[in-house]
Parts: sequence; C-alpha cells; structure tokens
Amino acid sequence: MDLSFTPEQLALRGEVVKFARKELNAGLVERDHQQAFSREGWDKCAAMGIHGLPFPREHGGSGADVLTTMLAMEGLGYGCRDSGLIFAINAQMWAVQMPILNFGTEEQKRRYLPRLCGGEWIGAHGMTEPGSGSDSSALATTAVRRGHRWILNGTKTFVTNAPIADVFVVFATTDRARGFMGVTGFVVEKGAPGFHVGKPIEKMGLKTSPMAELVFEDCELPLDALLGEEGGGTRVFSSSMEWERGCLLASSLGAMERQLETCVDYATNRRQFNRPIGKFQSVANKIVDMKVRLETSRLLLYKLAWLKSAGGEAVIDAAIAKLHLSESWVQSCLDAIQIHGGYGYTTEFELERDLRDAIAGRIYSGTSEIQRNIIAAQLGL
Amino acid sequence: MTEIHDYVRMEFAPERASVAPDENLLAQGIVDSLGILKLVTFLEQRFGFEAADDDLVPENFSTLEMIRDFVERKRKP
Ligand SMILES: Cc1cc2nc3c(=O)[nH]c(=O)nc-3n(C[C@H](O)[C@H](O)[C@H](O)COP(=O)(O)OP(=O)(O)OC[C@H]3O[C@@H](n4cnc5c(N)ncnc54)[C@H](O)[C@@H]3O)c2cc1C
Repeated sequence: MDLSFTPEQLALRGEVVKFARKELNAGLVERDHQQAFSREGWDKCAAMGIHGLPFPREHGGSGADVLTTMLAMEGLGYGCRDSGLIFAINAQMWAVQMPILNFGTEEQKRRYLPRLCGGEWIGAHGMTEPGSGSDSSALATTAVRRGHRWILNGTKTFVTNAPIADVFVVFATTDRARGFMGVTGFVVEKGAPGFHVGKPIEKMGLKTSPMAELVFEDCELPLDALLGEEGGGTRVFSSSMEWERGCLLASSLGAMERQLETCVDYATNRRQFNRPIGKFQSVANKIVDMKVRLETSRLLLYKLAWLKSAGGEAVIDAAIAKLHLSESWVQSCLDAIQIHGGYGYTTEFELERDLRDAIAGRIYSGTSEIQRNIIAAQLGL
Repeated sequence: MTEIHDYVRMEFAPERASVAPDENLLAQGIVDSLGILKLVTFLEQRFGFEAADDDLVPENFSTLEMIRDFVERKRKP
C-alpha cells in the first residue's frame, strides 16, 4: 500500500482549503438558521472543479484518481464549515454522477455528466421510502413497462437535494418475484409527467442541504430512462453506496482536523485556576483521543482510496471506514463542545452545528448498525 | 443440499422448521440484499469457489434447488 502524496496532490489540497475558506463560509450561521442552500457556493465549487474531480475529462470532469479526490474533499471539509453544502455536493457526486458513469448508456453520460460536473444541473438520489429504509430493497415503488413507456408509482423520502434537483436517480421494482434482484434503476428528469417533489423536510442538522419526498403517480418515463439493466438496480445502488460511504466522509476528516486545531488553540489560551485548561489531564486526554480518532480515520480512508484505485471491490473496507469515521466525528464534536465549556454550547462558536451535522453521518448511506451487519456478514457471521 | 438448506433456514428463517426446495427465497424476502452477502460468503468458504458479480442473478439464487445447481456448476473445474 503506497499512500505517499505527490507535490501536485498536496498543492491541490492546499488550493481547495484556501478557496473554501475564502468563498464558502460567509453568512453560514444565518443560512443554517434559515435552512438556506447556497447556490452561489455550489456554483463556485463546480467552477473550482470539485463536482467533476474523479470523472473523465470527456464527460466534463478532471480525471483525478480516487486518492487525489479524497484529499481534495478532505481539504474542502477542512476549509468549508458548511457541511450541508459539502453533503449536497457529495450526494450528487457519488450517488448520481458515479452510477451514471458506471452504469449509464453513452447517451445518458453525454446528457447528464457534463451538466452535473459543471454545476449547471443538480442531481438527487431516491432509494429510501416511507416503509423501507435500512431494508432498502424491500421498496414498494413499482415500474411497469407499458408499450414504449415505463410507468412508475410510489413515494421516495429523505431525498437530499430533491427540492433543487433537475435530475434524479431512483429505484423501483420491476419484478417483485425476484425480490431485491428485481429492483431497477431509472433516471428521471424534473417535470416528467406524473412526478413531483414534496414539501422540504425540516431536520436537525445539515440544514443548508435541502431534502424532500419524491412522488410518482403513474409517472411516465421513456424506455431509455432505465439506468443499467432491468433487475440490476441493487448492483447500481450498492456500488454507489460503496463510493458514497467512503468518499462522503473524506470531508468530515477535514472537519475533524479543523476541530482538533480549534480545540488545541482553545485549550492553550483559555485559562482557569491560573493555568491553560490544556494542562488539566482530563482536557488534554480528550484532545489526544480526538487526534487518535483523526489519524485512525485517515488511515482507513486512505486505505479505502488505495483499494478503489486498484479497481477492486471494497465492501468491508467501505463499511469499516464509514462506521469509524461517522462515529469518530460525532464523538469529536461532543469532545470539542465539552472542551469549550459554555462557549461550546453557543451557536456563535459553531461547534453545536458541527455536532448536529455529524449525527446524520450515523444514519445516511446505511446506519452504523447496518455497517456492522455488513462487516459481520463479510466475516461469515 | 441438506447443508445449504440448514444454513438458509437457520440464518434467514429460524422461525421455520424447513424451507421447501422450490420456495422462492427472493420473492418472500427470505434472502435480501444483505443476506445474499452472507449466503455467498458461506457458499464460497464451504464449497471452495469464488462467485463473480455476474453470478448474482435470480437464476442462481431464487430457490434452494437453484442454489444447489449453481454451487455444482461453480465447483466443476
Ligand atoms: C441527512 C440524511 C440524508 C439522507 N439522504 C438520502 C438520500 O439522498 N436518498 C435516500 O434514498 N435516502 C436518504 N436518506 C435516508 C437514509 O438512507 C435512511 O434514513 C437510512 O437508510 C435509514 O433508514 P430509516 O430512516 O428508514 O431507518 P430504519 O431502517 O427504520 O432504522 C431504524 C433503526 O433501526 C436500526 N435497524 C434497522 N434494521 C436493522 C438491522 N437489520 N440490524 C440492526 N439495526 C437495524 C437502524 O440502524 C436504526 O437505528 C438520508 C438520511 C439522512 C438522515
């Protein structure tokens, strides 16, 4: 395993950090309060080349390898405190662009990827339904072929980007007798007959990333809206989840590093009982644990990037990385608040928002419990 | 076959006394997307072969009979 970085990779990370700090943080406390998505920030990130980083040049991307991409996403999380914006970008990159790249037809790639990589269009991914979350393939949405059309009926929920999206990757069953092997992926455009987006869903954190339901009522799609093979939806979905689980959290690694530095700084400068609070072992130990979590998370993530670069499947490694990073991030947020005392609890210090944002990481892209199930299954348990 | 039956029953349908050889495991959700990972890992380890992505199709996993035939095909050199 070679995890050494080239000067170019490190320079890219540095550039992303500088860009994010300068361009993406203004007015964040207010935006979080108002649950406002920053289209301006989205467009700036796209112009910076974030959305298209690991995608081929011919489809509007930059052709970066996985490790370079993760390093850049980590830089984004370090420099940009708007985790909602980062989450929205990641949701599109890994669960919309990546499946279209890997399973889409040439026509689908030509139509969607340049627009998505360029930030002109926004993408959303709808798998979860009111009755099926962790057991995603027990979905109720149906797709029936009628003449030259697919007819979709059902509801998707918790769909990130839904209120602002132009294109949606969604899943429906085309053959219930085949169970999860009868699940099929589709690409749906905004305005398709019989398709509408529900009211935005309010949530605890990631407030700057909008979410809503998708409703399909005899929604008509052309036959070429199929994504991948009929009955191949679970493979499309699992493959996107493997990417998402690994890469989505690269940015939280950056956020954890930023948080650690903030805490070291605070513990050095904040004095109680005539000495810096960092001199109290119980405070120092919290910071040490934060550092250990950061470094173990980093290694797991880079190992995953290396495995994915080698082109292999990495089911267990993606699950381990997702589980460890998301849980570490939550714990580090709690520690950071504790180290900052009453100030840590205030909105102004922006640590409570980090915590609210971090908790979502234990739920999206498969809950922590499901990651443990995947790891257990891979161990033959 | 008994071994595959016992594994599937104990792992995925422990409340049942048996699973019929031609029962549709996928349609009934006895084997789901997480279950298939477990099942394939078990079959690979127990019968010494490696399943490819393309093997994960209903024709190989819908019933116990199909799983048995799939394992026999994979074990042939
Ligand atoms: C911020 C955010 C963004 C999201 N974005 C999207 C999106 O863009 N698209 C999309 O399709 N979905 C999205 N989701 C939905 C997300 O994928 C689901 O919430 C998640 O899969 C869990 O499903 P559920 O909420 O129905 O919970 P349930 O599956 O009902 O789970 C409830 C609890 O039971 C536990 N549980 C369930 N099954 C098991 C088991 N077998 N073993 C042990 N424990 C179990 C779970 O871990 C959890 O603690 C998003 C969710 C969040 C929070």
